[in-house]
Amino acid sequence: MSLPTRNLSFAIGVVITAVFIGAAALSLVWTPYDPAGIDILSKLRPPSAQHWFGTDQLGRDVLSMIMAGGRNSVGVALLSVVIGLGAGVPLGLAAAARGGGVDEFLMRGNDVLFAFPALLLAILITAVFGPGAINAIIAIGIFNIPVFARVTRGSARVLWTRDYCLAAQVAGKGRLRISAEHILPNLAALLAVQGTIQFSLGIIAEAGLSYVGLGAQPPTPSWGRMLNEAQTLTASAPSLAWFPGLAIVLFVLGVNLLGDAAHGAVHEP
Amino acid sequence: MTPPAAVLKGVAALSGVTALAGAVALAGAVALLPAATAQARDAVIIGVQLEPPILDPTSSPAAAITEIEYGNVFEGLVQFAADGSPRPALAKSWEIAADGLSYTFHLRANVRFHDGTPFDSATAKFSLDRAMAPDSVNPQKSRLDAIRAVLAPDRLTLRLTLKRRSGGLLQSLAWGAFAMVAPRSAAANAVDPVGTGPFKFLAWRRGDSLTLTRNADYWGVPARLQRATFQFIADPSAAYAALMAGDIDAFSNYPAPESIAQFQADKRFVVFVGSTEGETLLALNNRRPPFDDIRVRRAISYALDRRSIIEGAMYGFGVPIGSHFPPQNPAYVDLTGRYAHDPKKARELLREAGREGFAAVLKLPPPSYARRSGEIVAAQLAAAGIRVRIENLEWAQWLDEVFTRHDFDMSIVSHAEPMDYDIYARDDYYFGYRDADFKALIAALDDAIDDGRRRELLGLIQRKLADDAVNGFLFQYPALDVCDAHLHGIGFGGVLNVIELDKAAFDDASPTPGAAAARPSIAAAAVLLAVCGGALLLFAARRFGPWFVAQRLAVLAATLAAASAIVFVIVQIVPGDPARFMMGLSAEPGAVATLRHQLGLDAAPWLRYLDWLRGLAHADFGMSYTYRIPVGALIAQRLQVSLPLTAYALALSTLCALPLGLLAAARRGRPADLLVTGVTQLGLAVPNFWLGMILAWVFAVTLHWVSAGGFPGWQAGWWAAFKALTLPAVALAMPQAAILARVLRGSLLDTLNEDYVRTARAKGAGDWRILWRHALPNALIPVMTILGMQFSFLLAGGVIIENVFFLPGLGRLVFQAIVQRDLIVVQSVVVMLVFAVVSVSFVVDLSHALIDPRLRTSGSA
Repeated sequence: MSLPTRNLSFAIGVVITAVFIGAAALSLVWTPYDPAGIDILSKLRPPSAQHWFGTDQLGRDVLSMIMAGGRNSVGVALLSVVIGLGAGVPLGLAAAARGGGVDEFLMRGNDVLFAFPALLLAILITAVFGPGAINAIIAIGIFNIPVFARVTRGSARVLWTRDYCLAAQVAGKGRLRISAEHILPNLAALLAVQGTIQFSLGIIAEAGLSYVGLGAQPPTPSWGRMLNEAQTLTASAPSLAWFPGLAIVLFVLGVNLLGDAAHGAVHEP
Repeated sequence: MTPPAAVLKGVAALSGVTALAGAVALAGAVALLPAATAQARDAVIIGVQLEPPILDPTSSPAAAITEIEYGNVFEGLVQFAADGSPRPALAKSWEIAADGLSYTFHLRANVRFHDGTPFDSATAKFSLDRAMAPDSVNPQKSRLDAIRAVLAPDRLTLRLTLKRRSGGLLQSLAWGAFAMVAPRSAAANAVDPVGTGPFKFLAWRRGDSLTLTRNADYWGVPARLQRATFQFIADPSAAYAALMAGDIDAFSNYPAPESIAQFQADKRFVVFVGSTEGETLLALNNRRPPFDDIRVRRAISYALDRRSIIEGAMYGFGVPIGSHFPPQNPAYVDLTGRYAHDPKKARELLREAGREGFAAVLKLPPPSYARRSGEIVAAQLAAAGIRVRIENLEWAQWLDEVFTRHDFDMSIVSHAEPMDYDIYARDDYYFGYRDADFKALIAALDDAIDDGRRRELLGLIQRKLADDAVNGFLFQYPALDVCDAHLHGIGFGGVLNVIELDKAAFDDASPTPGAAAARPSIAAAAVLLAVCGGALLLFAARRFGPWFVAQRLAVLAATLAAASAIVFVIVQIVPGDPARFMMGLSAEPGAVATLRHQLGLDAAPWLRYLDWLRGLAHADFGMSYTYRIPVGALIAQRLQVSLPLTAYALALSTLCALPLGLLAAARRGRPADLLVTGVTQLGLAVPNFWLGMILAWVFAVTLHWVSAGGFPGWQAGWWAAFKALTLPAVALAMPQAAILARVLRGSLLDTLNEDYVRTARAKGAGDWRILWRHALPNALIPVMTILGMQFSFLLAGGVIIENVFFLPGLGRLVFQAIVQRDLIVVQSVVVMLVFAVVSVSFVVDLSHALIDPRLRTSGSA
């Protein structure tokens, strides 16, 4: 990516991300209307001066709901990436460093975990602990673990065959130290890219879980549930399906642009 | 190995992942029946929300069984008229003795069951005796408690003698649970129902549809339709899309009142709006403070504004009620004015009770009427100073927590059974109302057979329930049915909420493709899978040595063993009882216990685990609790959809991603790269279900290019099946393609910084040549890793997409199985997925070794 492009995409990413995170933060103290405020008499209003994004089938203000729903998306996605990084990277490093039996054990263990598709896992978790945002975080976070583990391990194994790693081994450095000093720094950029992807996927996954009713529970607004409720109204009130969908797309786009630019800055200084 | 060979091998290995899935899909499809021909318009497809768990109305109370089968497949001695009074069915007339202790029924002559068995007083006696037997699992058996004996004095006369008078007996006999069955076929009715009705059972594709065919030998006027298919569509938006796209001809109990207005405005459709027997209640736990205080319950009643609940939750459909009784019944008393909406009065009553501003939890079951009413009720109660926290439950959780364990403050649910006011006389019923006066009223009603006296007592019952404000009485659930304007004579609703098809016919003759039942060939698929797997292993053994393969196989077995144990443990912790869920709301504890025993659920967990493992070793996954057919067959049926869909999406995603990634890396920083980066950024950002929604809306609902969903089955022809999978595959593939293209571009650019690439460049090699010969082989490693991940994600992760497009695939099977507590299905599918993922990961490892010789030694070390 050329410098002007990178700067441009960085700027766009920062603006979009800031707008969304700012709106989500603002919603903690102020929204145009109460996002849970039901007003049956003014339901399904098209966008207007009073309600910029219109109102939903219960008369709630869509803009307020999208602002408040952003809180949910940011929190769930961020925490689930933290879970994935925290557990997945050490696993992948260990698998690559030890090789042989340890590698097999960790990676097949990862396979077992990975064989639970995110949604199935989320349904199992919510069936045991009840639906809600915390359980969505756990479900998406657990799903992130094998992703980071595999990416780490796949690239770390290549790095282990590099001369500088061999040299470090010959010099008597331990596997742990080599992993920390030589492997991990070289993986940082890849992990940043993957982290960005998983964060944006986290936003989408959270929306998916809420869409099937397993994410944050009403009256906590969430973009996925708004889409679910809007689906039967696409012909009469299409704005209800467009606004939350576009909110997801824009936010994810912003985060990704930011991540891309950051990746470029790290990788191609 | 020279770089071009590496590239070729890499690309070959890359397609290996897809090829394996594709081959199995092919096997499933090849083994299917030849394409069905187009039929004349004498076949109807009707959408229904719920799939019956089994097909025997005498052993399960599931409303879906009655909705589809009663009056079509099964018939009773009597049936309900629209106002709830009994009218003749298989009994053409009857007499009641003056003392009310003897009922004589005169049966119709020349009635035969679908298998040819004649219907007479002996079969009728068998049916009733079977329902009343001590080991009977009949969900309504207590309704026949008053019967002393069932007698068959001659071939066409049936006499019931009673222990005591039973005023509601005739109505009870009209319930689906007391349908007439034949001794020879009764035991198999759960999967192969045999009745006396105008339609015969033809096929049941679980998770998808049930098909009936015309009974030419019907005792009455034979049906005009040749075939009736009931398609199960739970999702309101999928129901909407299916109707709009013309995939189905009608929808019974249409679940989305918000879009009724659109159908009413559309000339292609006729909408029926009526009432059901479903009283929708804000159920209060009368056992638990503060709801044991009548002032608190009355305060809640005053706080409710039924009009705005109906307006908001039901879009104005539904009639407000003031007690537990349907307004269309002649004995109805309008008590909606008893607690006119008055938040001030509610606050006063709460103050009087010393319960101002108390907090309570409102536990809601899944249907949208409950969820939406819940939000409005919570807001209305808040206006009276009651702090309500909403908790949404799955059906199984709701049955377990609210219905069985009575662990709730408030809940909202529609009580769909007719004449069910007697639940208020049951001490163990979930809302815990205990009142001696009310029980006396019910006893008096049971004793009364005179119509005037019964009506008077029913009035008193309604007033008593309203006075005590046992529950918040919200509205009578509306019957909303949408129907093709060319389809006439179809009967919706009625007291039992059945779909009557005996007089239905189309007035146009345009051909419509029929949905014949699929015959999956599991054996063919298994053989092909074995051949593919064997070939792969042989190849690996030749290339990397037998030790490498043996080691991998051992790891595979160990993984599967670990996974099965983990899965079993996780699944066993999930609360909820499958037997309770299968029996449903009004089932009796005794019947549930019997079913638990029949299913072997009362055995120790570790015994069940060993049993299941023993079965797995013989490729026998066990029997589905819900569907009562082998789990293997169930999974095979679903794989026919999921595997092709996965392969299709994977192929689309790879086909889009490879050229895009290469192009972007080659034209790095130039407009083409920017364009690709922009497009993939957008692809990454779009949630697949939203893309699915938009695609369905644009291409199916608006443009009518493809159907909005459903899967016609491979027997409907390659093209039809392919078309049906296209939108879901595109929706699934696009975000995946974006990920793949990004990873490919990123890793190509990484390798371009390597020394050997610089060397090549220094030697004067061109951009494309460097990319192709030097960078791509190395860049394929992370791509392969991602591709391996995507396979399992796509295979079962498409649950949402399968729901948006109502495809009967694996993801939906698991989702339904968890909701229905069909644990054995969940276990089996998950273990199967583990197997698939481990195998794919094996293939990915092999391909790594193929592409990068350096990894080969460490891979086999």
